[in-house]
Amino acid sequence: MQKKDCIENTCVERIQKIFQTAEVEIQRDKRVVVKMRLDLVPPFLAYAKDYWNFKHLAHISCVDWLEENEFELVYMLWSYETNIMLMIKSRVDRSKPEFVTLSHIWPQAETYEREIHEMYGIDFEGNDRLGEFILEDWEGIPPMRRDFNTIKYSQENFYQRPGREDAQSVRETISKHSGEEVPDFAKEFSIRRIEE
Amino acid sequence: MTYDKNSKKIVDIIQSFARKHSLWILGYGTGCGAIEIPPTMTSRYDGERFGLRGAATPRQADVLLITGYLATKTLKRVIRSYEQMQSPKYVIGFGSCTINGGMYWDSYNTINALAQYLPVDVFINGCMPRPESVISGFIELQKLIAEGRADGAEKYQKNLEWYRENQKKVIHNWKMPDYNW
Repeated sequence: MQKKDCIENTCVERIQKIFQTAEVEIQRDKRVVVKMRLDLVPPFLAYAKDYWNFKHLAHISCVDWLEENEFELVYMLWSYETNIMLMIKSRVDRSKPEFVTLSHIWPQAETYEREIHEMYGIDFEGNDRLGEFILEDWEGIPPMRRDFNTIKYSQENFYQRPGREDAQSVRETISKHSGEEVPDFAKEFSIRRIEE
Repeated sequence: MTYDKNSKKIVDIIQSFARKHSLWILGYGTGCGAIEIPPTMTSRYDGERFGLRGAATPRQADVLLITGYLATKTLKRVIRSYEQMQSPKYVIGFGSCTINGGMYWDSYNTINALAQYLPVDVFINGCMPRPESVISGFIELQKLIAEGRADGAEKYQKNLEWYRENQKKVIHNWKMPDYNW
């Protein structure tokens, strides 16, 4: 556990004093996680960069919470003076995914937003360069979403080479040699299902 | 130059001897397997003693090494490079991704069987194959050239419609020139 007056705790107290609806917790040494409402994220990031010492945007990432019908955007900020990584998580509605761009605070956010737009489909208002980025001539839903079945797409579109007649399953061979059983969560991958 | 297997004249023997001992590889590392080319060429597993060296442009190259996975984006460019190479030309498939998809068999972006899209002469197994395996793959190619069986270029010309049909199934936006040899 952290000491009472360590740097991460001063961080937590400062955030809780100013942004009172945010939930802050210390994940481990030098990692602070903040969960906040979506509309407070741009003011918080501007505050962190200009009035505090989190000057470096390391990464913007996205998580697909299919069961809760939400996307989660994660902004990772780094401070050179205190060596703390601050992770800001906020939820976006999955049926109408849109947000604003943050490239006026950090210019590199434009590239991360282009990737998230191509892979998840979140629209960033104000970012002019959204569009075809990594994939070429892609028709279909954004491929990193969890309801996109990538195995089925690969089996339907690309020719699969048929396996050998005497093919053995790797997991079952190993379990025979070592004497242990194949665990339950891995049983479905032991069965060859290319010819289906 | 005749590809007829039955009549092996002295000209064929001399030509294939010369060809197999000077193979120029196109400098296009298509995937992660290209990291095994520099160790094969440098002094420890000397690849240059077999006559292998790099070529700058497709017009000057003999061998196209498909090292690893091929995204559909790369496949379009590889087809164009392959068609710019001049006969006799050979294709070597490196790694298990060219054989049956390898590590990326379930990806929406990479092809699984290379032999459907380009005529492959030799497959080298591994992920990545070690330099010793690479050299043994080249020796296998040299054997095929000496016997006159390395006829990937001719197969491509004869079965062009079949290859094109497979390629167009995967590459949707086909804006490539139509070659008519």
